[in-house]
Amino acid sequence: MTKLTRDDLPLLFLRLGGFFCFAGWTWVHFYWEAPYGILLWQDATYALADRLDISWDEFVGSGANDGLIQKGIAQIGWLYLICGITALTVRKKSWIQMAILIGGSGLLFVLSYAKYLGAQEQLPMLVEHGGQILMPVILVLALTAGIRHRITTTAAIVAVIMTFAGHGAYALGFHWPTPGNFFGMTSLILRVETETARVILQIAGVLDLLVCIGLLIPTLRRGAAFYAVAWGFLTAIARPLAGMSTELNYWGADQFIHEAILRGPHFIIPLYLLFLWKRSDSADTFANLDTLPQQSTDTQPCPP
Amino acid sequence: MKFAKFLTLCCAALILASGANAQQKGKKGKGPAILAIPEVENKDIICFALYTVHDNTLKLTAQLYPIPEGATKTVRLEIENDGKWVEAAKTEAIEQGWTAPFRIESWDDSKAQKYRVLHGSEASYEGTIRKNPVDKDEIIVAGFTGNSIHPAHGGDISRQDLIDNVEKVDADVLFFSGDQVYDHHKHYAAWLKFGRDFGEIIKDRPTLCLPDDHDAGQPNLWGESGKVSTLPGAADGGYLQPGSYVQEVERAQTSHFPDPADPHKIGQGIGVWFTNLNWGNIDFAILEDRKFKTGPAGRVPKQGPRPDHIRNPEYDPASVDVEGAILLGERQLKFIDQWAQDWSDADMKVALSATIFCGGAHIHGSANGRLHADMDSNGWPQTGRDNALRSLRKGFAFHLAGDQHLATIFQQGIDEYGDSIYSFCVPSIANLYLRWWEPLELAPNHKSGAPKYTGDHLDGFANKVTNYAAANPEKKPAGKILNTRAAGFGFVRLNTKSREITMECWPRNVDVTDPAAKQYPGWPLTISQFDNYKPPSWGKLGEVTFDIENPVVQLIDAETNEILYTVRANGKTFSPGAPRGKTFNLKAGKNAPDTIVSKEAKVGSKPITVTLQ
Repeated sequence: MTKLTRDDLPLLFLRLGGFFCFAGWTWVHFYWEAPYGILLWQDATYALADRLDISWDEFVGSGANDGLIQKGIAQIGWLYLICGITALTVRKKSWIQMAILIGGSGLLFVLSYAKYLGAQEQLPMLVEHGGQILMPVILVLALTAGIRHRITTTAAIVAVIMTFAGHGAYALGFHWPTPGNFFGMTSLILRVETETARVILQIAGVLDLLVCIGLLIPTLRRGAAFYAVAWGFLTAIARPLAGMSTELNYWGADQFIHEAILRGPHFIIPLYLLFLWKRSDSADTFANLDTLPQQSTDTQPCPP
Repeated sequence: MKFAKFLTLCCAALILASGANAQQKGKKGKGPAILAIPEVENKDIICFALYTVHDNTLKLTAQLYPIPEGATKTVRLEIENDGKWVEAAKTEAIEQGWTAPFRIESWDDSKAQKYRVLHGSEASYEGTIRKNPVDKDEIIVAGFTGNSIHPAHGGDISRQDLIDNVEKVDADVLFFSGDQVYDHHKHYAAWLKFGRDFGEIIKDRPTLCLPDDHDAGQPNLWGESGKVSTLPGAADGGYLQPGSYVQEVERAQTSHFPDPADPHKIGQGIGVWFTNLNWGNIDFAILEDRKFKTGPAGRVPKQGPRPDHIRNPEYDPASVDVEGAILLGERQLKFIDQWAQDWSDADMKVALSATIFCGGAHIHGSANGRLHADMDSNGWPQTGRDNALRSLRKGFAFHLAGDQHLATIFQQGIDEYGDSIYSFCVPSIANLYLRWWEPLELAPNHKSGAPKYTGDHLDGFANKVTNYAAANPEKKPAGKILNTRAAGFGFVRLNTKSREITMECWPRNVDVTDPAAKQYPGWPLTISQFDNYKPPSWGKLGEVTFDIENPVVQLIDAETNEILYTVRANGKTFSPGAPRGKTFNLKAGKNAPDTIVSKEAKVGSKPITVTLQ
């Protein structure tokens, strides 16, 4: 049995973050519907079919049957599933597995872009998905450059900042309107009226933006990361907490649980950072554990 | 390997589609509409005004731009009397949404009267309160739905053609069935834009705007009596936006309606506005088909990629007609039952609601989006749908609605095809989301030469429907973004003399008075008022001859005492339709069925003569 090193746990966090994100979206693809529709019924898509020399009916379906795109989209869930499994099993020297993860990042970007279009091109919608999009990239960087390498931690910081900047911009509601379900979840969970919910969300929005700044200031980053872990987790589980009910089929689990799971990176990436930045960073902590395979140590230390 | 290649091709296509989409947006500037509240001078602070007159009560709501800090919030209403302006009412503008609602009782609706809304010393907005057109043989209702302002759908194209056509036919009533506003967060700004676009025709005629899902700030709406919704898509039921937002929306769009029939509020303090408007001897029921409706998520077995979509054609329709699922709700059904029996000052009845009582489309969103059924339509829940239709047909109501983004004419069926009311779903002003009525099989009664989609069909919920017309859009993205997307508007001509109802469905940017202008295929269609409850299996009781014109007649099941229908006869004779093999009592009267004129009548009974005076 190999001994667990001090870097195995943060790497496990990153693996789980990637797995949760892809698993949640796999559920969306297979059980529900991924938000690609807005990309397809466009003159641009029609032109694309033309360029590929595929008839429109063959490309999108005749109405009586599914076309290439429709059939293909239904199968994209398999790619998400493969990416999810890969996130758990990827090895340092397996370039194919790492290429799959980078491809997964591209898939998440396309999906986020579709959501951005669906949200009337509100920038925070694209930005807040940064954490999910970058999750597999951070994992690959951790394996290639090192778990404590500057480039890995920088990517993680950028990912958290994107998530919290997008979230904060929405919660503040100044330039981009606060989504209605933010009010609904706050009101239902905390049992407060709309105006109180608005104040709470605005405070949360300010704190979200402070987290983004705090992560960049060495003396504040631990506190910022700690808050990001807590708030990222709470906002992820807010969906099932507010929506599930014993009156619904399966208690509504099939509607809401994946909403929390796919947001795993929102609290797992800051958890990874928090772990790296912990005060007593000792390898001895895990010296006696022997449950996980040994991972490599890094070539460059994390910046102070 | 073949599967992997195929999957790779699809992913590549999707990524390329994203790129091509972004590139095209960059080239044509077809992004979303930018909504802003323009800064206006004090003299222009009143944007527009909406009104109704019902039962000698005028209700008028002035819509203002934001009143500057420190300026008075008092808004006055003046009526011109013998050439002089006389103050008739004043009110304080409500800051959240800047509406100023007025109410004047004992309104003389026998003459047209000019009004003006005033604010401060500079702002004045004039219009005309029409006389009640009780002396007109034909009342014209202009019907609109789906007012997308997004350039990608042609929403940025001027509405001047709509204004011109309404003025040309001099419509008596304007009906906006829903989605006047498509912005989910800035209703006030979008409503002001709606006012700038349509205020010119709204200020001079009764106007009914029903707030639908997008108006309330969400993609679909199953209101569940004011519950809070948290699920993206809102299929868990309730409102996504805070109650105060919904209240503001309803205040702007409905505070000028006649008083609600049952004003008790629902969850989150949201009001209720279902009621009736009697204008020109047409009795309009204004229905709320979203507010009480149950959300499907978690209530019905999952049958498709969304909680409200059914993809599986093999599913059992009865499995989704779950116990406890509500459509109109008890309060509203009770109102319809009473409304259907009340024929005071009414020759014909029309029900107005957001959408139609069936699944009126097969393909949704894009040409490949075939759904078996859509629970956002009023085809679901089936029991609620049947209850609504059973109530509406008791008054021979014609149904005018929108929301489907697809103009259609259906005759609804409950127990048999053609045993209930006709519905006309008007096309969208600018069509955000395409739908097609395209059954896979020919109807058994399909007529040779008629479009393939017409005739008797079961919708996705196994509701019986008979299609007469559908304005399907182009199957491919076709550039001309209004009429290739089947945008347009409808007119309904209600002839109180002949009791005929003519449905017209026009594309955008035509002159409806030009003899060369063509309506969408299938229109116009004229039906009789009495076709709205004429089950094919019924026979006729003996003809009844009255000594007065146009009495109100009511048919009652002699055994159960159930009222089958109440209607105002046309002329001095009436041949009551009735189910075979049962006996009926017939009541009649000048304005209410207060006299029993026939007992134990059966199909095939002998003609009778009745004295009511």
